[in-house]
Amino acid sequence: MWCGAFRLKRAGNPLSGPVCQRRMTLVDHKKGVIEEMMMEEQAGMVKLSSSVSRRGFLKGCSLAAAALGLSEAMIPKLLEAAESAQRPTVIWLHFQECTGCTESLLRGSHPDIGRLILDIISLDYHETIMVPSGHQAEKSLHDSVEKNSGKFILVVEGAIPTAENGNFCKIAGRTAMDILAEVGPRAAAVIALGTCASFGGIQAAAPNPTGAKGVQELLSGVPIVNISGCPPNPVTFLGTVLHYLTFKRLPNCDKMGRPLFAYGRRIHDHCERRAHFDEGRFAEEFGDHGHKNGYCLYKVGCKGPETFSNCPAARFNDVDVWPVSVGHGCVGCTEPDFWDTMTPFYERLPEVAIPGTGIIADADSVGKKILGVAAAGAAIHAAAGIIKSKTKKG
Amino acid sequence: MTYEIKNVWSILLRLFHWSLVLSIIALVVTGLYVNTPWTNTTLEGSVSFPMATMRYIHFVAGYLFAAAIAVRLFLYIFGNRQERIWDILPITPRNIRSFVTTLGYYSYISDRHDPRLGHNVLAGSTYIVTIVAAIFQLISGFYLLFPEAGFWQGLGNGIFGSQQQGRFVHHLLMWYFILFAFVHVYMVVWNDVKSPEGLVSSMINGKKFKHKNA
Repeated sequence: MWCGAFRLKRAGNPLSGPVCQRRMTLVDHKKGVIEEMMMEEQAGMVKLSSSVSRRGFLKGCSLAAAALGLSEAMIPKLLEAAESAQRPTVIWLHFQECTGCTESLLRGSHPDIGRLILDIISLDYHETIMVPSGHQAEKSLHDSVEKNSGKFILVVEGAIPTAENGNFCKIAGRTAMDILAEVGPRAAAVIALGTCASFGGIQAAAPNPTGAKGVQELLSGVPIVNISGCPPNPVTFLGTVLHYLTFKRLPNCDKMGRPLFAYGRRIHDHCERRAHFDEGRFAEEFGDHGHKNGYCLYKVGCKGPETFSNCPAARFNDVDVWPVSVGHGCVGCTEPDFWDTMTPFYERLPEVAIPGTGIIADADSVGKKILGVAAAGAAIHAAAGIIKSKTKKG
Repeated sequence: MTYEIKNVWSILLRLFHWSLVLSIIALVVTGLYVNTPWTNTTLEGSVSFPMATMRYIHFVAGYLFAAAIAVRLFLYIFGNRQERIWDILPITPRNIRSFVTTLGYYSYISDRHDPRLGHNVLAGSTYIVTIVAAIFQLISGFYLLFPEAGFWQGLGNGIFGSQQQGRFVHHLLMWYFILFAFVHVYMVVWNDVKSPEGLVSSMINGKKFKHKNA
């Protein structure tokens, strides 16, 4: 389907291209920055430090420690792990997706987090930002898998179509299923980044024509962690990577395989608008008095009460916003089947389809109608009884 | 005509019944409020706390409902003859006969009436379905109340898939209980009119009146 279009990106993105080739430690980091700035100037590019300053590095690690719920005393350990010369190899596979997860990681207003991740890992294969293309790209994937077999971290972005032998998504003539089946079992751990890779996402919405599935349904025997969200928060991804580097294992997860430090609590239970909910102040519609005053968005369909995520705490894009903070209800993007079960987005509950009638209505109006029919039935039943007893007597 | 007074319902069963009545009324009213809060205010501060209060009543009533269901399950096995599940499970020939007879009786097809002391099997089967619905209502309720607890998360995700689906099932089952309560009250009153045996008061004093030579 749309995967074909992404192949074009393999030519490399001029801005982030050098990121992949960068292999400097933090000691010669200053020299590297100057060299890169010169390189970028020569190329007539925007003047952006493509590496992280020491301050930014510490900030990012502290942020990740906070997201992980680790104490201050653990920050030096995180730093040590992040600075280690043995950077873990990461192979990043794109399947049926929109690249939004990568975009959200790399295009933050202050791109420190994305760059921090690129600094602490050795990203051997990432179709969006890598320099090689065509056969060279395939070779780098193959070489890296061979060289680091059993040791690399695999990041999967996007769902895997399984219908029609997986023919809906092909990369270099091979289906996504094939590639995952080859690369997946050789990884030390798998990070399914985004709701598509975790649960199938929008591609898996009914009637799911491509048979899209999440990684955990197709891969077994390898530890898998789901960083769901559309897009997921880069801080959560960074936290998971740093956790792996520091403790040599994936973080503790909930029953859906999502790390508890980020998905251990419902949005509603730590939402900044919660007081308005408890005290009965609601926006009835967008733009009304309640909405303008920042009241609770429950009545305009916010799915915070049924969605697990750290959005209210971690927030997005380093400018401290998330959907509810800017006046739009949560749409529940971190949950499985969110496209099917969280819609209509501006109603509390899904609608009921009455089989055989084509009628789709909300549960309460269906309930009231059935109750009305029952009341009418009871009235007719009672009337029939009265008529029967009268005619008998007569 | 002489009557004989029979003890039918134990005190525990009557307690179960009225706890269920009370909790269902409280749960439906507060549940509808929690889903569609019909009040709205611009008052700020602690003078206004309607949602938290409604939720509190809902949870307390939920525990009462859970206790009532637990009592009924206990009585299905350890209750008196009328209360035990074998008296109403439509699997024995006697019970299947009662089921069919009652269907005919309720729809005015025949005047034959199953004279048993406890529930007729049509009513009893409906109650079993209702208890099963109540168990699912309780699982979905506790799944929503304790979303972080491993036990409820595992059970709820297994049955409903996600919190939102659990909430949806919880809401639909509420409509089942509303319908059940309506039909139940109508049929009880109808029975009490059609064949007087003190059916309504039996749930208060536990006794039914039976014809001596019926």
